[in-house]
Amino acid sequence: MKKIPIIISIFTFIAVTVIISSCSSTNSLADAKSGAQLWGENCLRCHNAPSPDTFSDTEWDVAVMHMRIRANLTENEAVKISGFLKTAN
Amino acid sequence: MKSKYIVSLLAFMIAVFWNPVIAQEVQSMDEFQKLKQEVELLKNESDSYKPGLSRFLLRGYAHSGLQVTDDEFSFVGGSFNPLFIYKQSDRILFESELELELVGGEVELGVEYANMSYLFSKNFTIRAGKILVPFGIFVPSLHPAWVNKFPTAPLGAGHDGILPSNDIGLELRGGSYLGNLKVNYSFYAVNGSQLNDGEDEPEEAGILHHAIFPDNNKGKTVGGRIGFFPFSNSSLELGVSGMYGKVGAKDSDLEDVVAVHYAFDLSYVKTLTPLSSVLDLKAQYAGVNVDDAKFPDHENPDDFVTFDNTSTTWFAQLALRPALVENEFVRNLEFAGRYSALTTPEGSEWEVDDSQIDIGINYWLDWRTLFKVSYRISNSSAGEHDEEPGEPGHSEAVAGNAFFIHWAIGF
Repeated sequence: MKKIPIIISIFTFIAVTVIISSCSSTNSLADAKSGAQLWGENCLRCHNAPSPDTFSDTEWDVAVMHMRIRANLTENEAVKISGFLKTAN
Repeated sequence: MKSKYIVSLLAFMIAVFWNPVIAQEVQSMDEFQKLKQEVELLKNESDSYKPGLSRFLLRGYAHSGLQVTDDEFSFVGGSFNPLFIYKQSDRILFESELELELVGGEVELGVEYANMSYLFSKNFTIRAGKILVPFGIFVPSLHPAWVNKFPTAPLGAGHDGILPSNDIGLELRGGSYLGNLKVNYSFYAVNGSQLNDGEDEPEEAGILHHAIFPDNNKGKTVGGRIGFFPFSNSSLELGVSGMYGKVGAKDSDLEDVVAVHYAFDLSYVKTLTPLSSVLDLKAQYAGVNVDDAKFPDHENPDDFVTFDNTSTTWFAQLALRPALVENEFVRNLEFAGRYSALTTPEGSEWEVDDSQIDIGINYWLDWRTLFKVSYRISNSSAGEHDEEPGEPGHSEAVAGNAFFIHWAIGF
């Protein structure tokens, strides 16, 4: 249990680093990816990628917002995925 | 005179040929305005039905099936988990997942989570309420029946596991990039687990109970998870989770007892072109360390017992789906295997050293509906007290070898 403060300190340090870094702008790698690519990469991590014709545009707005939070997507990724999913409607 | 003649002639021609056109245009304009009004009316009516503006977007999942063990051959009710999502604005979202489950012939209703999220910035969301604790990979990402490759949860995870699943508190989460390295993060403060002091249930002395409200002390449990994506295509995610907090009841001898949870998880999803298949690998190793404490000895009321209150659990799961072959039947098949293990404190009343192997074949009817057929081989070496027999109809509590046929649907 004596190692616990060390583990917590390391975890906190990583956490703070990530938080500070996240305040910066988006990334060129993410910018270069299309909505279809992000849809495949992010959805498939947990489940099958949803068919774009499953929901209406307004339903996709809500569903993608839900998944943006659930899957920790950035705003840029969510906007692109949403745009791709709406192309079927 | 010649010019007057020409002007008069032009005026005559305009009067003859343009009047009907003008009249037609005026009529078209009237029709256009009328149509515009109708469209506006329909739009307003349509807006009133938009999910989030006037009603919840209803999603969720359900599952049911058949399970066969040495003692049981039953169709089981499974569960129905409606998920209600309400988009209040572009920044505010409320969501709640309920769980209606048939257990022993009665319906149990639970709230898996119910929370409000505020999208604070491009990379941050603040969430408050009852949340799925972002600890490891199974509960936060894989627990829905249509996502889970098997009818049951791996040992140690899910309901009645040793790991936290949901709790009430405040969470900060999001995703970002460190250079070209994508990361996601979740940090939270919740009520935390509660230590069973063994006064009323000596056989459970030292067990941590999760998702009990209200809190048994004034200390809050803090924790978080960070996920890293080393590859640019996000195919590999490596996660580390930690959770720290007091678990003893206030004003008791166990008040200062602290529990530390930790987990390492891995997710790898890759299309294997030579096999025309998608490979899905998931793994998680987790542990719980609780400070040493004295618990009443139920065999000798004047004495106390103590033990190294450390538990570990892990699972590794591999699924292969030939999603790229031409034959539709084969394309919808998925082959899965999972190994999971659970070790609880030696010397405790709830000591176990269990492992399970699950082998399954799934058939996908569409991207969110499937049938699961699986067989479980259990290896249990319980301590002094054997594991309680499974609750009929409750798959996660099934003990021993078992055969399952389940369907699951996401919607």
